Amino acid sequence: MRQLCKGNVAIVKGAVLAGCKAYYGYPITPASEIAEYAALLIPEVGGTFIQAESEVSAINMVYGASSAGQRVMSASSGPGLSLMQEGISYMAGAELPGVIVDVVRGGPGLGNIAPEQSDYFCVVKGGGHGCYRNLVLAPGSVQEMFDLTVLAFDLADRYRNPVVIMTDGYIGQMMEPLEIKLRNVEPPAKDWAVKGTAETKNLISSIVLEPDDLERHVRKLEAKYQLAQELESRCETYLTEDAEILLVGFGIVSRVLRTAVDQLRAQGMKAGLFRPITLWPFPSRELCETAKNVKQVLAVELSTGMMVEDVKLTLNGSVPVEYYGRVGGNVPSAEEITAQVFARMAAHV
Amino acid sequence: MSAQPRGNVIIDPEECKGCGLCVESCPPECLELAPELSPYGVHPAQYTGEDCTGCGACFYCCPEPGAITVERLTPPAKTSDPAVAQKEKVSHEAAL
Repeated sequence: MRQLCKGNVAIVKGAVLAGCKAYYGYPITPASEIAEYAALLIPEVGGTFIQAESEVSAINMVYGASSAGQRVMSASSGPGLSLMQEGISYMAGAELPGVIVDVVRGGPGLGNIAPEQSDYFCVVKGGGHGCYRNLVLAPGSVQEMFDLTVLAFDLADRYRNPVVIMTDGYIGQMMEPLEIKLRNVEPPAKDWAVKGTAETKNLISSIVLEPDDLERHVRKLEAKYQLAQELESRCETYLTEDAEILLVGFGIVSRVLRTAVDQLRAQGMKAGLFRPITLWPFPSRELCETAKNVKQVLAVELSTGMMVEDVKLTLNGSVPVEYYGRVGGNVPSAEEITAQVFARMAAHV
Repeated sequence: MSAQPRGNVIIDPEECKGCGLCVESCPPECLELAPELSPYGVHPAQYTGEDCTGCGACFYCCPEPGAITVERLTPPAKTSDPAVAQKEKVSHEAAL
């Protein structure tokens, strides 16, 4: 089933295919279409849509529905994600699955409604309190908005943890062909869920008062995150086999970088692209392997330098890492990237 | 301006945030940002009143659900009454 589809709409269609039966949210540009289409589609498949009075309320509704074993989601943009942090931390603490979409817009504060990737620290490093992690997926196309949403629900249930789809106002708003392969998705049985029956005595809570008990709980979460780091990192590479210059970027930036790689190759420079698809776990093993014979790395992002920290941590000084970024809703052109590569890197190669 | 307008754009200044995507997307360049500010402090998009073809590009690229409605005014057959021109709204249901 091939169709022309907007990125935000593809998210909702992916959620419906994944068996999501509950959406709680509050509209915010540039994520509003997710709430709009969830209101249209989720009730059609027998689910519940509620426009909450705020994002704080929405995320706690997500907590409640998830406790009851439903596949549940919410979506917002920067200001709303900030409000959700407490609830996300509670979900991680209570080991509740849930999918949260962040269509990143310009910040800080009210900022504007144009695309940025500046929620990286908030989402990838865990904007809430305590020792927890979000699994974070970064789609690079409308097709991936759909595919990674289906994956997000699977990962959330597998790890009993919040999964954030971190996209941007660009991919959320653009329209591209979307291929939907219809299939039956059976959400897993959840014997831990609260059923409201006398037989099940499950308790969902994130409070653990005894220090030793809490340490045990946090170590259990940590073991889960280590497993996710081993199994779930995903990335895409483009022309990296013989690359001397490696461009690193995710989301909409990776699309620009791909063109920049082509332009650089046409001018005789051996450039390649590394695109993290999971931002947490960051594809460190894959990046190390890809950058083995690389002479220079340029991390490009729509922020003042956030992902570049993970690139540097990963490569640990083995390769010089440079950063280039635009903010405020500006997205660099391929020509701009190419010029940056020539200006600051050509001399080193 | 053609004798028979093919489309019409209705923009709700209460919903528009003045991002300008519709202005950039409009093939016949018949949208503009209003010089005056809306109550929300933005320059909302407005239709110049001429040349809309009803293509719907502005509707699809607008990030604000409900801000833009496009009316497609099907030109009547030569022999028929112009008053019976059919209106086809570009709705969200149609977008599915």
